[in-house]
This record gives sequence, structure tokens and C-alpha cells, in this order.
Amino acid sequence: MTNTADTKANALSMHNISKAFPGVQALDSASLAVAPQEIHGLVGENGAGKSTIIKVLAGIYQADRGSVWVDGAPLDQITPETVHERGVRFIHQELSLVPHFSVAESVFMAQEKRGMLGLDTRKMRRLSEAFLAETLGAEIDGRTLIRDLTVAQRKLVQIARALIDGQARLVVFDEPTAVLGATDINTLFGNIRRLRDTGISIVYVSHYLSEITEICDRVTVFRNGEDVGTIDLGGATAPPGPAPSDTDSAWSAANGAPRQGEIIKLMVGREITDMYPDRKPEAGETVLEVSGLSDGSRFSDVNFSVRTGEILGLTGIIGSGREALVDTIYGIRRTRRGSLTIDGAPVKLRSPAQAVRSGLVLVPRDRRNDGLVLDMSVGDNVNMATLDKVSSKLGWLMRAQARRQSDEFAEQLDVRPRRSATIVRFLSGGNQQKVVLARWLATESKVFVLDQPTTGVDVGARSEIYALIAQLATGGAGVIVSSNDLTEILGICDRVLVMVRGRIVAERPTSGLALDELVALTTSSAAATADQGAAIYGPEHRGGLEVGA
Amino acid sequence: MTTTVSARTPAGAAARRVLHFTISRGPLVVFAVLLIYLSLESEFFLEWRNIKSILRQSAPDAILASGLAVVVMAGGDDVVVGGIDISIPAAATLGVGLIADQLVGNTPLLWAYLLGAVAIFGVGAANAFLVVYVKLTPLLATLATLVASVGLYRWAIDNRRITVLGNGFVNEVRDGDFLGIPIPALIMLGTLVVVGGIAHRTRFGIRMQAVGGNRSAAEIAGLRPGRYLAASFILASFCGAVASIVLISRGSGLSPGIEERLLVDMVLATFVGAAFSPRRVVTVPGAVAGAILVKALGNGFQLIQVDLFKIGMIKGVLILVVVASSALVGKLRQ
Repeated sequence: MTNTADTKANALSMHNISKAFPGVQALDSASLAVAPQEIHGLVGENGAGKSTIIKVLAGIYQADRGSVWVDGAPLDQITPETVHERGVRFIHQELSLVPHFSVAESVFMAQEKRGMLGLDTRKMRRLSEAFLAETLGAEIDGRTLIRDLTVAQRKLVQIARALIDGQARLVVFDEPTAVLGATDINTLFGNIRRLRDTGISIVYVSHYLSEITEICDRVTVFRNGEDVGTIDLGGATAPPGPAPSDTDSAWSAANGAPRQGEIIKLMVGREITDMYPDRKPEAGETVLEVSGLSDGSRFSDVNFSVRTGEILGLTGIIGSGREALVDTIYGIRRTRRGSLTIDGAPVKLRSPAQAVRSGLVLVPRDRRNDGLVLDMSVGDNVNMATLDKVSSKLGWLMRAQARRQSDEFAEQLDVRPRRSATIVRFLSGGNQQKVVLARWLATESKVFVLDQPTTGVDVGARSEIYALIAQLATGGAGVIVSSNDLTEILGICDRVLVMVRGRIVAERPTSGLALDELVALTTSSAAATADQGAAIYGPEHRGGLEVGA
Repeated sequence: MTTTVSARTPAGAAARRVLHFTISRGPLVVFAVLLIYLSLESEFFLEWRNIKSILRQSAPDAILASGLAVVVMAGGDDVVVGGIDISIPAAATLGVGLIADQLVGNTPLLWAYLLGAVAIFGVGAANAFLVVYVKLTPLLATLATLVASVGLYRWAIDNRRITVLGNGFVNEVRDGDFLGIPIPALIMLGTLVVVGGIAHRTRFGIRMQAVGGNRSAAEIAGLRPGRYLAASFILASFCGAVASIVLISRGSGLSPGIEERLLVDMVLATFVGAAFSPRRVVTVPGAVAGAILVKALGNGFQLIQVDLFKIGMIKGVLILVVVASSALVGKLRQ
């Protein structure tokens, strides 16, 4: 793809990089070439290999094959130290800072200035303040503690730490806006452009295509561990003349849309399979109504309703607040504002126990940790939520009845092996998921929330799970499927809600909705942003965008 | 969550600030009130002679607490999975036992103290190994070495009291003054300067704090957390070795069982000390100040003739106040 002349001229050339993990070919001859002084985007679905190639560059993973050239010279050994020496810097997605450190201490962490007696704190403070002011345009006192800064200021401190030694040649930004609001994003973009104009090359990894088209000069798309194309976004570069200002956003957004279509085509590149059940949705009464729901940090003002017999999809990429919303509806996280109505009756959910009692149950995304007691039997796991049905008034467990109940549901869901004494740990992912479903079927609940129902479930068992989900709806329950697998959402759901940055930005019927349209909806960087301050030190488990099985 | 709702109004915000201040400074306020009360009740309390005796008494606690502070700074302030070393007093006692035994047997002074130090560093090295390589949680690892150290010294000295008499050095450390300041207080000051200097004023120290403050961040920044964790346990055993010098003098030998009271006072001093630091985190100077403060209170209560058992109870309540306040501050910050 790239010839030697390019390699010599490029700021970064990664050639035919391959990397396999047990059972997965994460990178398959993938290449990435970044020209000097350009902002180069890197996009792809979850599992496409973009974070793997970044980790290869960082020296965290050793590639099985391939070569890496920085500034026209090959890197023989790729370790965090050698990469650092060549001026490659990383701005990681998490704000990796110590809460009780001062700004100066954070900027100089692991690269402290020494004076006559130990540390030269005054020099570090002066240098960090000067750098923040001159290079990043931020007036921050070097003595301020990290925990007293805003999220955006912390990001700047992180950037300052990467650049303070003045040796940076190439800076990799990994999802830098995941924790930022709209104005802060514009400031960040201004800073990134300024860096480029001082001669630094930039790799910009993001899920948000609107950001990619706004800030990047070129973008490389990854799919299934390969680079499938590089698109010149020339139109998106800042016009010559005065320094680009915030008003440019609207200009480039207008230009960006057709470009995004091109990118999405490269990202998706495959058809939906027919593993989904045929169903005629017959929506009845509203069974769950959510209005004005906010948790104060990850999402706000969420409104939607689910009707009996309906399967509602809920999707959104990292940082969209989707997982937090699911947890809040189930009472795991606290509600700050808003209300929930189940079957016409308002409920206040402060714990999962209350949710179950009100007829709302969750099949959790982390099945092995949150869904099952792995070392208990199938029977015990199935009966867990309905033990009072199979116990005497004094609480004595009626074993025969318990066994009959678990057998009944295990048979209904075709759990294999069909022995209620089998320890759940030894079942396959698909059968484990059926056990969780069987437990909730036994409760005769009204609303089923399924979070990532087919993660870790092999393709054969998936269609069975989909059939069961359809069956739940046909049986008169309201079903919510929360997933980052967009094909799954389109295949199984009647309606889909798309979350971006903590808000529901779109609601569409799935019939007639095209996959690339849905991708575009989930990757639009909406201005609406919840205050995500809480996300800093303990970011929620981040699932990415995933298209297809 | 009612407080967060009210925080939206100016009055609510002010109330929240007051609440935050009260909770975060709570322990200090309680201590200040107690000190003022004691000095009013007993005129002798603030006399130089009594202050000297407080300093003399608090030296071992302060030195041990400096060691614990270092481990907490490197491992993080979560007592269960973060940095904690409950074996320091037991290791120091083991050292005291060995030194006392040797001195009674007329071993040269230097050799006796060296033997004690080797044993104490051995315990520290075992902690470092168990935590960094075997990957035990510090609480479990140091509990194991604590039990082993106690068993070892009780066996080695036959679980009897060893009295060291007529040793010039031991007596000098116990009773001597230099420029009017008790020798143990000077040793305490020296530990503060050396250990506090290493922990707070060197590159090594600040990296160690980074490891304790956010281990993954430190790792991403290119530091190797294991090294700093291991070093913190070794520094702690250095403190244990220094403490053993003061302890053998104070007790004129060894009374088996002293490690139990030392453990309680060390932990209390270290975490009380966090209330003294501007950032509300565990620091070496804070730990030293905490030890002196705790000792001053005990001394004051004795002066006004409060029952010894009641003093224990008051200490327990103080531990609760300190720990609860730091937990509440953390909660408010979210």
C-alpha cells in the first residue's frame, strides 16, 4: 500500500501489522500512514483493531509481524521507552491523573525537575503554568489540586504532561472527547489544530464521525483487523488565514455529512443475516413509562415508553449513558430526577429488589458476574428469584416442587444439558443466558430488560436467544433490548432509541431503517451533553460500537 | 441525597460548604477542643517539663507511624486493598527482643543493634515479597508477618521480660537531653526529616505517591508500581529499626506484648494525621503530628485522673470520628 519513499517522508508508517490473540486475529496486515503535520483520523467498529494497533505503537502489545517507522527511521524494538524517545506521545481516554496531586506535580509526573535539594517545585510550577497558558491557552494555577479542576481542565493537564518536554513529534489522541462537553470540545479542537501548526503530527481516534470530519485532514478506516481505506477530508482542513475559531464548526459540519456517508460505508461493508425471527409486532397497553429521568451525571431528561408485546431497542456508543440508564431503571444506580411508571402505577426504584417486586427484571450485560452464581446448579439459579413459590410457609424448601419448577423452565428454554444439578459454570454462554432468562420467566414479570443479551453467545445459540426474546413479547411482556450490536437491534427490535452523550437523540421504527443510517445516528456528536464529572476516576465499563455478528 | 438537591440554591451551597468544612475539619476541631479543655483543667499540662515528657512518650509511635504513612502513600489509602502494614510494631518488638537478649549477653552494642535491624528489615523484605510478587493484599501479608514476628520473638526470648541494666547508651537514649530536647524527640525529628524528606521532597517520593494515588496512571506514565510498593515496605522497616532503638531504652529492655498498644497508636496517629495535611491525605509530617497529639491527649487525661480504661474508650471514639469523617468527605466529593 505504501512505498518506501512515502515511508521515509511520513511522520508515522505502520506496515502490515499482524497481531493474534488466542482465538482472534485482532490485526491482519493492517497499515497506517500519517503524513507530517497532519491530523489523521482512525475509525472502526469495536473489534476492528484500532485500539490494538495503537497499543502496538505504544509498545504495550508486541506485533507478530510488520514494521513501524517514525519520522522516516525504522523502530527495531518497540517498547514504551523507545517509542517515547522518538517523540511519540499518547493522550489516553481515561484521565490518568492522581486526584490529590497539584497541577504542577501532575504535569511533571515521572519526569520531575530536580533542584539542589530534591525536587524543584517552584520551577515545575512555573513551567507548567507557562506551558498551559502559552501552548494550551489556559490560565491554571500550578498549585491547584486535580480534584478541584473541571473535566476539561484535567484533559488539558493530561495534554500538557505529554508535551511539556518539548520532544513530541506525534501525538495520539484516544477518544479525547468522551468526557467533554460541546464548548470544551471546540477548545480542544483549537488546541489540536494549534499543535499541528507547530509541526506536530496527530492521530485522532474517535467513534464520533462528525468530529472526525471536522478536525481531521485524512481518515483511515479499520474493519476486521485490516485497514480498508483512507479518505482525504481535504475540505475539512481549516481555511488559510487567521487561526480557526469556534464558528468553523458549523461550516465543517455542513461539509462533513457526505464524507461521513463514505466512512460509514467502509466501516459497515456487510449484510444483515437472517438469524432473526419473523414477527408481527402487536403492541398493546403501555407497560413501562419513563419520564424526565436523570441520574445527575451520565444521562439526563430521558423519556420513553414500552408497550406490552413490544420489543424496544436501546443503543448508543461509549459514553452515551446507555449502560447507566439501564442500571438506573433497574434501581442499581440512584435516580436524581424523573419518574417511572409500571403498569400505570408510579414506582420509586431504590434497589433491584424493588424493581423485581414491581415486575421489572434485568438480564445483565455481565452475565457471569452479575447474572449467575456460577458454582451453583442450574436448578438453584433458575429458582433464585422465586424461592417463595417452592417453599412452605415456614420457609422450608420443598425440593421436589423446586425441581419441578426449574425443570419446567429449563425445558421450555431448552437449556442443555437437561440436568438441573449441573453446575452453571460448565454451561456454554448461550445456555447460561437461557438460565438467567428462565429465572425471570418463572417470576411472570411484566417488563424484561435485556442488556447485551448475546455477548459471548455463539452464533447458533444467538438465534435461539432471539426467538426467546420474541416469545417474551408475544407472551404479553414489554421487552427492552439494550445493545451496541446494531444489526441485532435492527433484527430483533420493533423500535429503537439512540443515545448520544447522555440524551436520547432519535427514536425510529426499525422497519425500513438502514444500518448505515443507524450508524450515523449513534456516531453524531450532539451538542447536548450531560455533566460527566463523575465519570473521571471510575469510567463505566465502556462498550464500543459493534456492527454485525 | 437531599443535600445535593438543596445545593442548587445559594443558601444550599453555603450550607453544603459549611457541612463539608465541619466534616473535613471535624477531627481537628474535636482535638483542639479537648486540648483546650485539658489545659484549663490541669495547669501542669502545658508546662515544658510535661511537654518534654509527651515528646519522649510519643517518639516511638511517631516513628512507627511515619513508616505506616509511607506504605499508605505508596499503596493507596484503602485499608483493605490499598497500602497498610500492621507488622511494623511487631517487627520492631522482635528487634527489641533480640537486641535486649544480646545486650544482656554482653554482645558489643553495635552488633546487638545490627542484629535487631537485620531481623526488622527481614520482616519488611518478606512483606515486600508477599505483596509485590506473591500478590497478597497488604493487610493479609502483613497480618501473617505480624503473627510470625510475635511468635518468633516470644519463642526466642522464652516469653519473659528482659531487663537491660547499666548500659550507658540505652540509659542515655532514655533519659538524656541535647540542647534541652529529649534524645527520643531528636530521633523522632531525625526520622521525620529523613523519611519525610524522601517521601515528600524527592523524585522517588513523588513517584511513590503517584503509584499510591492512581496506580494505573502511574503505570501508563512509565513507572513500575511494584518497585515503589516494595520500597515502601523497606522504608517502613527502616522506621521499625529506628523505633526499636527508642523502645529498648524506654522499656529498659523488653516487656512482651508491647506491640499491641503500639499497633493501635500507630494506626490512629497515621490516619489522624491525614486531617493535618492541607490535601487531607496521609503524610509523614501528619503522622508525626498525629502521634504527638494522640499522646498529648492520653497524657492530659491521666493528669486529670481519668480512668485508664476510659482513656482507651475515648481513643476508640476518636478513631471512629477520624475514619468516619474521611469516609464522609469522600462521599461528599462525589
